[in-house]
Amino acid sequence: MAKELIRLEHVSKSYDGNMILDDLNLSIHENSFVTILGPSGCGKTTTLRIIGGFETPDQGRVIFDGQDITNLAPNKRQLNTVFQKYALFTHMDIAQNIAFGLKIKNKTDAYIKDKIKYALKLVNLEGFEHRMPDSLSGGQQQRVAIARAIVNEPKVLLLDEPLGALDLKLRQDMQYELIRLKNELGITFIYVTHDQEEALTMSDHIVVMNQGYIQQEGSPEKIYNEPENAFVADFIGDSNIIHATMVQDKLVRILGANFSCVDTGFGINTPVDVVIRPEDVELVPRGKGTLPGKVSHVIFKGVHYEMEVEAGGFEWLVHSTRMAQVGDEVDISVDPFNIQVMNVPASEDEEAIEIDV
Amino acid sequence: MFNNRQTSRLLASPYIAWAVIFIVVPLAMIFFYGLTDESGALTFANVAAIARPENLKSLGLALVLALISTIICFLLAYPLAMILASNKISSQGIITTLFILPMWMNFLLRTMAWMTLLENKGVINGILSFFGLPTINIINTSAAIVIGMVYNFLPFMILPLYNALARIDDSVINAARDLGANAVQTFFKITLPLTIPGILSGITMVFIPALTTFAISTMLGGSKILLIGNVIEQEFTLSYDWNMGAGLSLVLMLFIIVNMVVTMMTDKSSNS
Amino acid sequence: MRKTIEKVYMGIILVFMYLPIVTMIILSFNSSKSRAKWGGFTFDWYINLASDSEIINAFANTLIIALISTVVATIIGTATCVAMMGLHKKSRSVIMGITNIPMINADIVTGISLMLLFRFLHFNAGFITVLIAHITFNIPYVMLSVMPRMKTINPSVYEAALDLGAEPFFAFRKTVLPDLMPAVISGAMMAFTMSLDDFIITYFTKGSGFDTLSTKIYSEVKRGIQPEIYALSAIIFIIVIVLMVGSRQLKARNSAASSKKEISYEKRKGLSKKTILLLAAACGVIVVIGLTFGGVFKTEDNQVYVYNWGEYIDPEVITMFEEETGIKVIYDEFESNEIMYAKIASDNSAYDVICPSDYMISRMIQEGMLQELDWNSLPYASENIDPNYLESAASFDEGNKYAVPNFCGTVGILYNKTLVDDPVTSWDILWDEKYAGQILMQDSVRDAFMVALAKNGYSINSTDPAQLEEAAAELIAQKPLVQAYVIDQVRDKMIGGEAALGVIYSGEALYTQRENSDLEYVIPDEGSNVWLDGWCITRDSKHTENALKWINFMCREDIALMNFEYVTYTTPNLKAQELIEDETIRNSTVAFPTEDTLSRCEVYTYLGQDADELYNELWKKIKAAD
Repeated sequence: MAKELIRLEHVSKSYDGNMILDDLNLSIHENSFVTILGPSGCGKTTTLRIIGGFETPDQGRVIFDGQDITNLAPNKRQLNTVFQKYALFTHMDIAQNIAFGLKIKNKTDAYIKDKIKYALKLVNLEGFEHRMPDSLSGGQQQRVAIARAIVNEPKVLLLDEPLGALDLKLRQDMQYELIRLKNELGITFIYVTHDQEEALTMSDHIVVMNQGYIQQEGSPEKIYNEPENAFVADFIGDSNIIHATMVQDKLVRILGANFSCVDTGFGINTPVDVVIRPEDVELVPRGKGTLPGKVSHVIFKGVHYEMEVEAGGFEWLVHSTRMAQVGDEVDISVDPFNIQVMNVPASEDEEAIEIDV
Repeated sequence: MFNNRQTSRLLASPYIAWAVIFIVVPLAMIFFYGLTDESGALTFANVAAIARPENLKSLGLALVLALISTIICFLLAYPLAMILASNKISSQGIITTLFILPMWMNFLLRTMAWMTLLENKGVINGILSFFGLPTINIINTSAAIVIGMVYNFLPFMILPLYNALARIDDSVINAARDLGANAVQTFFKITLPLTIPGILSGITMVFIPALTTFAISTMLGGSKILLIGNVIEQEFTLSYDWNMGAGLSLVLMLFIIVNMVVTMMTDKSSNS
Repeated sequence: MRKTIEKVYMGIILVFMYLPIVTMIILSFNSSKSRAKWGGFTFDWYINLASDSEIINAFANTLIIALISTVVATIIGTATCVAMMGLHKKSRSVIMGITNIPMINADIVTGISLMLLFRFLHFNAGFITVLIAHITFNIPYVMLSVMPRMKTINPSVYEAALDLGAEPFFAFRKTVLPDLMPAVISGAMMAFTMSLDDFIITYFTKGSGFDTLSTKIYSEVKRGIQPEIYALSAIIFIIVIVLMVGSRQLKARNSAASSKKEISYEKRKGLSKKTILLLAAACGVIVVIGLTFGGVFKTEDNQVYVYNWGEYIDPEVITMFEEETGIKVIYDEFESNEIMYAKIASDNSAYDVICPSDYMISRMIQEGMLQELDWNSLPYASENIDPNYLESAASFDEGNKYAVPNFCGTVGILYNKTLVDDPVTSWDILWDEKYAGQILMQDSVRDAFMVALAKNGYSINSTDPAQLEEAAAELIAQKPLVQAYVIDQVRDKMIGGEAALGVIYSGEALYTQRENSDLEYVIPDEGSNVWLDGWCITRDSKHTENALKWINFMCREDIALMNFEYVTYTTPNLKAQELIEDETIRNSTVAFPTEDTLSRCEVYTYLGQDADELYNELWKKIKAAD
């Protein structure tokens, strides 16, 4: 594992009595692409702004490269930000925008010129030096904003929903672009978004936040396959989240039927939540599965069929390449490895996070 | 309506007629009167009269006082507009209204109030002498006129500056800080240049009325101090020399046109 | 820390902005007429204000002009903005260019240009001209507010409405107008504010007998402010605050309502419609009230336009005249002969009766601006006026054909005994450095020159350029010592102890002595001006008969007495003199100077156009000097 670059220690922040961040601890490693993912108002942007220096936490510390930078002004930090609405200087042309940070640092003209050229090439905007920001498209402006940030050779690039204002096609292109940039520059990216697809596509490490708390962090695969609670499961992709009872180790009772699973250590007859991804639900002929049900909707989605199956009083969401007919009597079967068992939220705070998003 | 030229022309015709009769023709009248003498013969004497020492002096004084007032207004209004624009609290509207409210009092009422305040035995001196402080003799001086100008025209400076500053996205300022600029650098490299259109319109809205006022100088200057506005007014109300009054107005228009051209040029260069 | 500094800074600016307003509100409760001292709490000025028809009229006029001009400008401006979308880009930019002219041009230039136009068209200045001027400068405010909004409107909404079968106007009203409304309203508010605030353009385009609040205040200020104006300011301020708070709350309620999703679109429309109706109704009520009070559109011809000196009549007399004769008096005041002359000389004045002084009467006779009086219609004048005064008047009005003597008086020095310890016997004292900043001079050409000419021992009717240059040099030398050039304000300033010495007319002396017993009036040994003014009828008078009735009424002994007691100048009305009860006044040498004093004084004569121009030129130089 690479060395730790940024650490947030017990960071809290509130506005007008509203707690935005509550005792947040987060560690970010060098050369990683970290995404902070969560619904709006979850505290992800505030976290980014605290790292960038635009907010001061009420409590806690920000450690950068071993040094406490909690109260350091933004202009003294070795990181740069790409803002959501680009925040280009409309009274300067593209070259002047990119040169801004370098001029402040009193770099030589030749150096600046080289850097502008290099940066524009990097973001595929060669020849745009003397255009004004207003004459550029949203995607182009976003690239300028990135170029403007990276010429300063920051150790960390903070990106605040940078693709939020772009249309779908452009957004997908830019995702690859950002991965390429990150690899070419070899620096740390901290990326804030509410778009789970973006997060899963680009990140090495995802931090899922809600209501000022970190819900789960880990690799995209881990977050997707092993959500630790209902919020994460629901926020990342589609899923069937069902109240269940852990009968004993490796056996869970879901909607009255006993399913084998691989989880242990929950105790006996403990209430739990289980998450089963729609693509992990297998439909088998009646009598061959665990739970009997009836197909109620079928929609063709291209790569698979999306079906709803009424079973045990629950509408199961099922993705399958094999089509069933509406009204088919089927059984539901799930591979033990694909049943993710989670603790039921115990405190009120945790309860609050189960807000449908 | 949006593409029917016939309807559009019909709809625009009342204003076009109005504008021609009451804007264009009257301006032509000023040129006509200003460039003729009483008998109607062409002459440049009325315009040239600006070169007379007494007229030149009142023009010069008006320029100086207007300039000072504009600078003071700018220096007072900019920090205020910044404070107003940065307060993103709910009471922002109320506070902004508070600074605009005096505009609803009649302009002459406000100026009259300053007479009362600044007089030798006026309110301010009354308060000063109550505390045993030396009194000030400011009424009927240029300083009193400047105070009157600043007071009356300050809202005209605050409004455009406030609008310009409020339009700047926070993230632009943050971006500059993020790129390494300190607060001072950010102000001079980002905030100030971005508010140039607002500054220009504020300057115009203060400088032109200050340059051409005659009521403020009459009221607070005790008729001792003659500005170009007083000279022109007197041509109409005292000397009854309409041609001369129109001729001197033409000189004023020259300043206004210069101001307009400068504004337009700066506007263009910042837009191109 | 930073927040504190910000708050302190805002506080300081707020104090600067509101100090004058607070002062006016406090003064509106000050029972002393002088601004300088607090005489106790009173509501008198508010009570007086209610019956002061001149101020109320001016205020009503201001509101009516503001309302009508706002409505007209809003309709024309909005229509034009809508039309602009369908015009060529070129014609659009031409229209916008013209629209910008009144915005960028100085008010004084706009005002003068309109005045020249109205004069050229022989358009009688008055309500209509002011209204036209206000509409003209209001349209740009509406357009500049509506135009940016117009550009953001998506035409397809309108087209969709047409597509669904709506008539064009209906479609516009239902689709475009609601989107445009906020901009239209803010444009209208801007126009209304500008119209209320305007002084300069109104000043140049108003005619005889018509005043808005600003022009009224301007002439008041020149004469000395009446405390009723403070009361009015306080009331206006309260109204403004109530309106502001009200509109804010309305806005807050509307935005709260629109944020609640359960309130249907239809319902919200109903609400705003109701608000608009309410506003329209309020406007209507104000206009009706204004019209009744202001009498703007009264076309009755039984009236007379009187143009008199400021504070030169007992207001009661006007009411009595109206009651007894049924003639409506439109009464205006001027501050100097020259201002009056300029007004009458402009073609669009409507005055019937004026009251010029000697030299001005002579000039106006020469220039054919007056008409001969029918003495048969002036029985009181024939009976009551002292023949001696008629004889004096004949010196500038041969055969007494044009003028009936009204008042006469002298010019002298009024001084404050507590501030001046030297004996005041000569004009020289006005050049004494000891009294620098304590001297008030008359802001009128002839009176100012009279002082300097008399001081140097020249005739006060001198036309000798050398003597005049010398006098001008004296006045320039004196200027640094002068506190201010004023006219009727001398009175208030002397009462308030603002100055030690002031050049003043004899009639004001008695009044000021009553208010401040430290004041003393002197006619310097070198001599001074004795003047006589008289009622005259203008050549272009449209109400000659009423004008004669007015003059005759003024000569009735009881009326002349009332006026005398009010203005305290010498009345040439013999019978009125006999009626004066107060011994001290009847024997006052100020009110009735002795033969000896009068022998030292000279009457002004008309000096001819060339000399007039020379006086004016020199006067401008004096005014421009340091």
